[in-house]
Amino acid sequence: MASAREIQSRIRSVKDTMKITNAMYMISSSKMKKAKKVLEDTEPYFYNMQAAIARILRHVPDLQHPFFSVRHLVPREDRKIGTIVVTGDKGMAGAYNHNITKMTDEFMEGPGHHKLYVLGVVGRQYYSRKKADVDGSFRYTVQKPTMHRARVISDEIVRAFLERELDEIHIIYTQMQNAAVMEPVNMQLLPLKKANFTPSQIPMGTLQEEIEMFPSADAVLDTIIPNYLTGVIYGCLVEAYASENNARMTAMQSSTDSAKKMLADLSIQYNRARQAAITQEITEVISGAKAQKRK
Amino acid sequence: MDNTFGLEIYASDKLFYSGRARSLVIPVEDGQKAFLAHHANTISAIVPGEMRYQDPEGNWTTVAVSSGFVEMINNRAKLFCLTVERPEEIDVRRAQEALERAEEQLRQKQSIQEYHRNQMALARAMTRLRVTKNL
Repeated sequence: MASAREIQSRIRSVKDTMKITNAMYMISSSKMKKAKKVLEDTEPYFYNMQAAIARILRHVPDLQHPFFSVRHLVPREDRKIGTIVVTGDKGMAGAYNHNITKMTDEFMEGPGHHKLYVLGVVGRQYYSRKKADVDGSFRYTVQKPTMHRARVISDEIVRAFLERELDEIHIIYTQMQNAAVMEPVNMQLLPLKKANFTPSQIPMGTLQEEIEMFPSADAVLDTIIPNYLTGVIYGCLVEAYASENNARMTAMQSSTDSAKKMLADLSIQYNRARQAAITQEITEVISGAKAQKRK
Repeated sequence: MDNTFGLEIYASDKLFYSGRARSLVIPVEDGQKAFLAHHANTISAIVPGEMRYQDPEGNWTTVAVSSGFVEMINNRAKLFCLTVERPEEIDVRRAQEALERAEEQLRQKQSIQEYHRNQMALARAMTRLRVTKNL
């Protein structure tokens, strides 16, 4: 059995670690609250925008626009696929980063040439070690997602798509379904799928009203689609940020809990060791005294 | 006949305005475009600039918008812009700095993409400054 002094120093170190995990728990919980608020603020914009685009597409059914072209002529093996991967800036968040990298690795095994746009330090280091084709243009943290960053990212991918550097663009990020369930999601950004916008059933007898597009249908879509993408990317960044902090919060809470359990075990051990030492001392004193008496 | 229409203005981070309006003037590629009640169904792209709308009491509100679009369908207008800012929300100094930065960068040799990006930044900065001028 370890000596009382050893156990005591172990208790001290566990206590120190617990202080850190507890502080991280509180920090990430306050960060998550903020991120959730931002997420709620942006939601009306997205849902209404999506509805508006759906309406436009419904009224202009035979629309030919580069953003919708699937590029059938490019065979599956030769397609250049760009993927935006949203990871965290640091670990200590349970399986958050691992889930994302696992999904990305699986996706990269599919056909086509893959190019990654990695956000977040953890993912960047992981993929530069793996010598994957990583684009170096987005070198910022995923903390505090802003509109500006979303705009820079969407500018870059829209340009790459239109100049045929890429044929498909995906984003892999973590979606927060509720406080307990978070799932990595792979979403296709470009080319846009018309089916995503058209509701499965249009009620019979709905009149197709004439809608005038100003200056022209193409020009309207030229501004709307990049805007829409910026919005989607911003939403993904905010959601990933909220998920990251949620994951960290859960991870830190469980480690604080296990630290508490360890402390309880250790303090029992310590008491036992101390008691054993006392008993031993008493036995020694008594036996010493007896030996003296016998003389 | 009622001479107002429903107006909803969505910025990417909030619902900016929701209610009735008498008139809406938006910046478009070749100038400005005004919407009154019962306008024909239209979808129109918005360029960064100064936008005004008039509420039912007749008060005009002027805001700075970035690019987006507006759809006017069945006497209801929905407007989507990445940013919608009131003059008093704008940081004049920051806008001024952004303006100078954009002008500086436009003077340098750069790719078409950079040129467009800086031009947009310049447009946003100029709008912000113009809107705050008569504050």
